[in-house]
Amino acid sequence: METHKEALKMENITKIYPNGFVANKGITFSVMEGEIHALVGENGAGKTTLMKVLFGMEQAQEGKIYVGGKQVKITSPLDAIAKGVGMVHQHFMLVPSMTVAQNVTLGIEPRRHGLVDNAACIKMTQDLSDKYEFGLDATATVADLSVGLMQKVEILKALAKGAKVLILDEPTAVLTPQETRELFKQLKLLKENGHSIIFISHKLEEVMELCDNVTILRHGYCNGSYPISDLDEAKLSRLMVGRDVVLKIEKADPKPGRPILEVRDLEKLSDTGKLVLDHVSFTIREGEVLGIAGVEGNGQSFLSDCISGMQRFDGGDILLNGKSIAGRKISDIRESGMSNIPEDRMTVGCVPTMSIMDNVMADRFERRENMHGLFMDKKKALKITDDLIKEFEISCDDRSEAIRLLSGGNIQKVVVAREFTSGANFVLANQPTRGVDVGTAEMIRKYLVRQVREQNIASLLISADLNEVLEVSDRLLVMRQGKIVAAFPKANMVSEDELGEYMLGIKTMTPDEMEGLL
Amino acid sequence: MNKTKRIENTFDIVRILIAIAVAYLIALIILALISDDPLNVIGLFIAGPFSSKKHIGDIFTRMIPLIFTGLCMCFVYAINKFNLAGEGAVNLGGCLAACVAIALKETSVPGWLCIILCIIVGALAGMLSNAIPAIADQVFHADVCVISLMLNYILLYFTTFILKNVIKDQGAAVTASYKLGSKVKLPKMIPGTTIHIGLLIAIACVVFVAILFYKMPFGYKMRAVGINPTFAKYIGIPVTSTIILAQIIGGSFAGMGGAVQILGMFPRYKWESLTNYGFDGLMIAVLARKNPILVPISAFLIAYIRNGADLVATKTQIPPEFVSIIQGIIIVLVAAEMFLSGWKKRLIFNAARKDLNEKEAKA
Repeated sequence: METHKEALKMENITKIYPNGFVANKGITFSVMEGEIHALVGENGAGKTTLMKVLFGMEQAQEGKIYVGGKQVKITSPLDAIAKGVGMVHQHFMLVPSMTVAQNVTLGIEPRRHGLVDNAACIKMTQDLSDKYEFGLDATATVADLSVGLMQKVEILKALAKGAKVLILDEPTAVLTPQETRELFKQLKLLKENGHSIIFISHKLEEVMELCDNVTILRHGYCNGSYPISDLDEAKLSRLMVGRDVVLKIEKADPKPGRPILEVRDLEKLSDTGKLVLDHVSFTIREGEVLGIAGVEGNGQSFLSDCISGMQRFDGGDILLNGKSIAGRKISDIRESGMSNIPEDRMTVGCVPTMSIMDNVMADRFERRENMHGLFMDKKKALKITDDLIKEFEISCDDRSEAIRLLSGGNIQKVVVAREFTSGANFVLANQPTRGVDVGTAEMIRKYLVRQVREQNIASLLISADLNEVLEVSDRLLVMRQGKIVAAFPKANMVSEDELGEYMLGIKTMTPDEMEGLL
Repeated sequence: MNKTKRIENTFDIVRILIAIAVAYLIALIILALISDDPLNVIGLFIAGPFSSKKHIGDIFTRMIPLIFTGLCMCFVYAINKFNLAGEGAVNLGGCLAACVAIALKETSVPGWLCIILCIIVGALAGMLSNAIPAIADQVFHADVCVISLMLNYILLYFTTFILKNVIKDQGAAVTASYKLGSKVKLPKMIPGTTIHIGLLIAIACVVFVAILFYKMPFGYKMRAVGINPTFAKYIGIPVTSTIILAQIIGGSFAGMGGAVQILGMFPRYKWESLTNYGFDGLMIAVLARKNPILVPISAFLIAYIRNGADLVATKTQIPPEFVSIIQGIIIVLVAAEMFLSGWKKRLIFNAARKDLNEKEAKA
């Protein structure tokens, strides 16, 4: 199947958003038939925007798109699908209550006498799954599938609609190492069948392993396309961020002091009555970072919401600095030493339309030292904001700028700056570097470690990024189906593969093995 | 990026001006079509409200209740809960203020104190009116919009009941209360006009609300809760109490507006229908883009259009209802965020372009 026909070409694409943000500037790249092409760059570099333009979700102001050698205008995702471009989104677009076959054939159902032909739907889906060795059962309900399998349903959906070019937006972000390896095998099979794949990723070693060519974006500009064989990881990361990124974090051994956060037999039922936190217990002491690894959706969000006070829990207790937080107001919990970097910065962590200053001051505008009698002390607020902008290197025009105009990484810096300077001695960090560029992520991780060691505070780090939990944490727990299934005394002695086995449930530690490690 | 914000701000103002211009143009076309003497009618409509000292004064007088209800709706708008009880609050505020005035008429309480008491009672009445839907919404999850619209009629018939059974002057030719008495009559400010000191009270309220909105912690809480309640909860702002309190404070202005209107304009209380000031307040808050400082300006605009329409109606055969068309068009165009958005995008695109080229030229 070795062909050298061009499957897709984007030429001179310029996209400026209505808020004036230049997301893409004169980007050109092309993908051959039967090629896996990586698109890499820091967050905010313009990868997602470029793919949205290709998939018809955004319209570029300038530039041309060629599919199969013909110039086309893609006006909507439907139009993109009709032209043979399919996309697998980072967040799955599936109907959980329907079967695999129903999801895959949605919109293109085979019919008989004007009615949907269920048997044909199932056969069509099963044939496709078998052809590419996806190992899916067409009659299974999507809600019962694992994340890895759901992703395959997404890919099948695109293939069933005749996609020749497949866009995968950070497909491995939600997968375990084992699932990732399986995905790669299947992608290579697709490639042999003449499909072209655009693979968006942050993880350079995956790009090196899987892809043929790579296009690098930086600050909205194209930083060139290269065959993978010409590059190594270090060179690639230099092209991406313009400097070497240290993936290792140097840190001294922890000297844990008194307990700061104690979680005792925590139980939580979801709205539907499912036990989502099953007798979770652990203690975090001053001067240490406790990491929690796990495939997303195994109770981490509930744990984080219970500790931060966003949700009530149904059993057990949480003690912060010796005091129970059960039934207390969030302002009260924050006052007794909690700070919280939330998972979702745009809907929880900030008010997008308010200024940087308003967002920074959100937890402290009412403190006596920031008030002037009955009024907020504007001068004080400006000074606090300016100091944080400088300390955290937040790049912005000025502090009165609405935070939505900043890049994702800079918004996260504002959130982190606020939470780290709130005066708390416990930091709950839930996915603190998700969707943040490599440089900012590195800065946030180092800052977290430094604060914990120097200020002698405690931190709980919940992250789906294995590299992050392994590097930043001192001790490490693994969560699966609402339970702690493994505990490691030294996070940096654990391998990703070993971690993956516990995350997937291949191995589980007994309570005796975890004794003393929680 | 700041350039973008500047374009967005300028654009907002330009858009409102264009909306008004378009609405006026359509009104003029309608007038030209339905009138035998279009030039005269148009002249009356546009220049009439400014044609004499008395007429100019009438615009300001008409503004007064609109400023109060506009402020009320700014609160409702800020916390994103469409509590429309401000309409009924005007009636209740006016009615209870009248009761207080009548009760104190024969006493030795000095006039200024009577006025203050009447206005305070009006404000309390407004707080109560807005509190009912606010609490029903937060505690029982009843839709605040539906509850408040229904409540308006309850308040109307309650005040009508009081009017007919408690304070009705049997000697009067129409349904009206006893005379309120000259000691609670709000003094006139400028001779030869109807402008009364209610205008000063209204302006003082505007200043107070602007300070509350932008300088005090409560204003911050209100804005944060209105834009992103999840964030407000996460950061420790008491969401429910902020939402309820904002509506109650807002209601006080609508009730005060009712009291001031009754004391300033009428010798007796005789409202037997909704006044529409509350709903006008919503329109004024929309025009003012929720900004209390702009409320007097949009109230002035609405008062001016209304007075023009009234003049046309009294001097020609054209009914004042045609002015509703103008208002409708203005609101639709102002509220329609996408109106002229293509133009805005182009402006921003060009500015970003220019920035980029400059940067590239430097590099």
